[in-house]
Amino acid sequence: MMNRKTICVLCIAIFGCGHFLYAQTKKPAPFSVSGTAGVSYEGYGLHRNPSGWTGYQPRKPWNQVRFNFTPTFKLGKNFSLPFNFNFAAIPTNFAGPFAGIKKPSFGQFITNPMNSFGLNPKYKWAELQLGTQYLKYSDLSTGDIGVFGIGFDLRPKTLLFKFFTGISQQGINYVAGPPTVVGAYKRRNWMAQIGTEKEGKYLFALNIAKGKDVPTSSAPPPVTIRPQEGLVISVVSDLYMDKGFYFKAEGAQSIFTKDVATPLTLLLKGLKPFIEAHTSTITDYAAQAAVGKKSKNFDIGVMVKYLGAGFQTIGYPFLQSDRLDYTVNNRINAWKNKMNIVATLGQRINNVSNTALKAKQFIGNLNWFTQFNDKFSLNVNYNNFGFQTASGINPFGIKNVSNDLGINPTVTWAGKKIIHLISMSYNYSKYDERDVITGLTTSNNTHTTLLTYVPTYLEKEISPDFSILYFYNDVPGAKIALATISSALSMQVAKKKLRLRGQLQYTLGKLNSFSNSNNLIASCNIDFKLTKKLNWSTFLTTNYFKYGNEIIPNGANYVETTCRTGFQYRFNTKK
Amino acid sequence: MKKIFSLLISACIFSTGIAQLNISLIVNGQPPAQLSEWGNRREVLTLIVSAPGVIGESFKLKTEIKLIDGTVIATTDLAKSPVFIPSTTGTTILVANDVMPLEYMVFTGKYKTSLERTGKMPADNYTICTKPVRTTDYGPMGEMKCKNFYLATTQLPILMKPYNEEVLDAKKAQTAIIFRWSPVVPRQISPVTYRIQVFEVLPTQSPVQALRSNQPVLDKEILAATQYIWQPQLSFSWIGPDEDLGYVISENKSKIKEQSMRFIWTVQSLDKDHNPVTRTDGNGEGRSEPILFFVSIKNPILLK
Repeated sequence: MMNRKTICVLCIAIFGCGHFLYAQTKKPAPFSVSGTAGVSYEGYGLHRNPSGWTGYQPRKPWNQVRFNFTPTFKLGKNFSLPFNFNFAAIPTNFAGPFAGIKKPSFGQFITNPMNSFGLNPKYKWAELQLGTQYLKYSDLSTGDIGVFGIGFDLRPKTLLFKFFTGISQQGINYVAGPPTVVGAYKRRNWMAQIGTEKEGKYLFALNIAKGKDVPTSSAPPPVTIRPQEGLVISVVSDLYMDKGFYFKAEGAQSIFTKDVATPLTLLLKGLKPFIEAHTSTITDYAAQAAVGKKSKNFDIGVMVKYLGAGFQTIGYPFLQSDRLDYTVNNRINAWKNKMNIVATLGQRINNVSNTALKAKQFIGNLNWFTQFNDKFSLNVNYNNFGFQTASGINPFGIKNVSNDLGINPTVTWAGKKIIHLISMSYNYSKYDERDVITGLTTSNNTHTTLLTYVPTYLEKEISPDFSILYFYNDVPGAKIALATISSALSMQVAKKKLRLRGQLQYTLGKLNSFSNSNNLIASCNIDFKLTKKLNWSTFLTTNYFKYGNEIIPNGANYVETTCRTGFQYRFNTKK
Repeated sequence: MKKIFSLLISACIFSTGIAQLNISLIVNGQPPAQLSEWGNRREVLTLIVSAPGVIGESFKLKTEIKLIDGTVIATTDLAKSPVFIPSTTGTTILVANDVMPLEYMVFTGKYKTSLERTGKMPADNYTICTKPVRTTDYGPMGEMKCKNFYLATTQLPILMKPYNEEVLDAKKAQTAIIFRWSPVVPRQISPVTYRIQVFEVLPTQSPVQALRSNQPVLDKEILAATQYIWQPQLSFSWIGPDEDLGYVISENKSKIKEQSMRFIWTVQSLDKDHNPVTRTDGNGEGRSEPILFFVSIKNPILLK
């Protein structure tokens, strides 16, 4: 029912806007169209040997057609009508509520996250939001979920009024299978924001976002998923001051019912009339703040984020709560911009609410680039991630530490007709993992060496590149070595209307004392400018992989092929 | 005769008065941390009530949750809790929602706060005790039975490498990409299967949209290990017009077009039965918070 109403409103809006545009064309007003429209096809093939062997699974749909229609019509200075239509013919959902769905209903097709049908007519400060919208109100309220519905975004002077309501997922029936369809409940969403904003100066807003499942929307209902309801209220403020100083903060409270089928209770907190407390209702807080200074050559910032153990919002379904992060970020440009240093240092504490199993994760990143002269530059990077926690009843706690060091010198020199570039790269990665029973630490060491040569011809339309790579991973019980050579060639022909790029890569792999594996990848890109506005792009690739005798059946191999081709029309009618 | 009849009636009344119910309590040693989830899983708690040869009399259950030292942290509000009538067949089977109805359980102190905030109690060893009581004066109708259990919130893995928004070089990434994540905490009784998934984010998609709608380019199950070396066997190459993506880096006299392909990855943690290790937290799918990484493609195209 909601859908029908929404679709009707959408149709009226499209018709209305079209009529408005037509009416306006009677008067001479500057009219322009920008954006793109296109269609693309992707075909995938997998041939496995020996016949009947299923050790390698397809990783793309056999056929897929995608459409996009994203023009923005502008009439005069004040009116714009952007379309955002992106959709595909075949559903390919693997994670989330739509996973496994094969023959969607119309409503399921419309609300499937792989499809977007959005329209946002805007007149001066008033925007109508129709169809699929991915609205990010703030970091702690809503932002990751596409909702199909209707709403508005009004910004008179410095004021902000936003509201949107719709459906983020349709009911999906449980199917025992195989293949199993987990199923989902239809979910209705509401969100609103009220506040004040001056771009680049300040923002102060109150957000409220709610989602509620309809328990009767699927039959049979999902077995492992419960109908839920969640509400989050947040206050967000950003301040941008002189000399690059800034301050951002947000505080939020969530009330979340994990199962609306559980009994109502007076013992827990609800927030009538928005949400009633059930025995599975939880209420918790989250907050984040960042303060710092930005300038041309120097940035520094401190960020703190706390998510309470029971903080849960429907707008960010994958958010992992119960953590405290704090980081210091720094960027320095020095030596007349020839030296650039970016560093992050911080800590993440997981499972904050649980003193016994609190897990600490150290975060440290450094990237240091120096251009010594016209010919030589050096990039050094270092990353450290450490994870440490008690392990419950085991004698030793969990301790995993990942260290990565990369050194990348680049040499360039120029001749009259050619510029040579040689880039070397060495990476050392060490991963230590402690066994919680014995206390012994195993080290996992990886070395990667890459040498690339890129000659750039100044008078020719060809650009080749060559590279050789060696990868070695050593962990007790397993040693993996990979050696890769690759080469690519790019060129422009037919008065630069046709751009071609081909690439060939061969990798020889070895696991312990098993026989070698072989991998050959060939790919080709063809980009043809048919007219000034119309492009035809094609990408073809094939991948042949033959295992060593580490798997049964010996000699197993496969060939994967992918073909993507599509036309893209670029609107540009500025008059 | 009159005397005998009076004696029989007295005996009958007496036997009803001391009616005893036999109960047997079965509790999972490591139940779900989310207390409201207990009611959805019959295997978590079962109470078998039998009334051998006794005329059925209604009863209530007085349940207490205690710490190992005996401190009571939760108890049933008997004035509001439900009334049960023993089955005429002699055996009644009750589950968590009957024995520990959360809407009638009164928690104390920090346990109440914890339950309000998280729906869970702090990680610890607990004892649950229950006994049948009369509905009138709450006097005992059977022996109290207790069972110990351990509660700990299952913490899903944190994705460590590639770290969020890390930019990988296409030449290296085409040969191998190393994925690392932290293990499930606390350590599970049976080894955890980590299902690692990588999704390509198309230019028109947001990252989470890609995760929820695309077929993964990597979908691999790893048993008990927290590292995976992926040979992508993909040609990282941008197919659209140059104007659509990327930016230009000046390097001396040459210019190199740099473009990035976006990927989002996550790990789903599964138990020995191939079910998510936790269904009550976050997305309910046992999927860790996904993060992005980029593969930077440096096409050496001379821009004149």
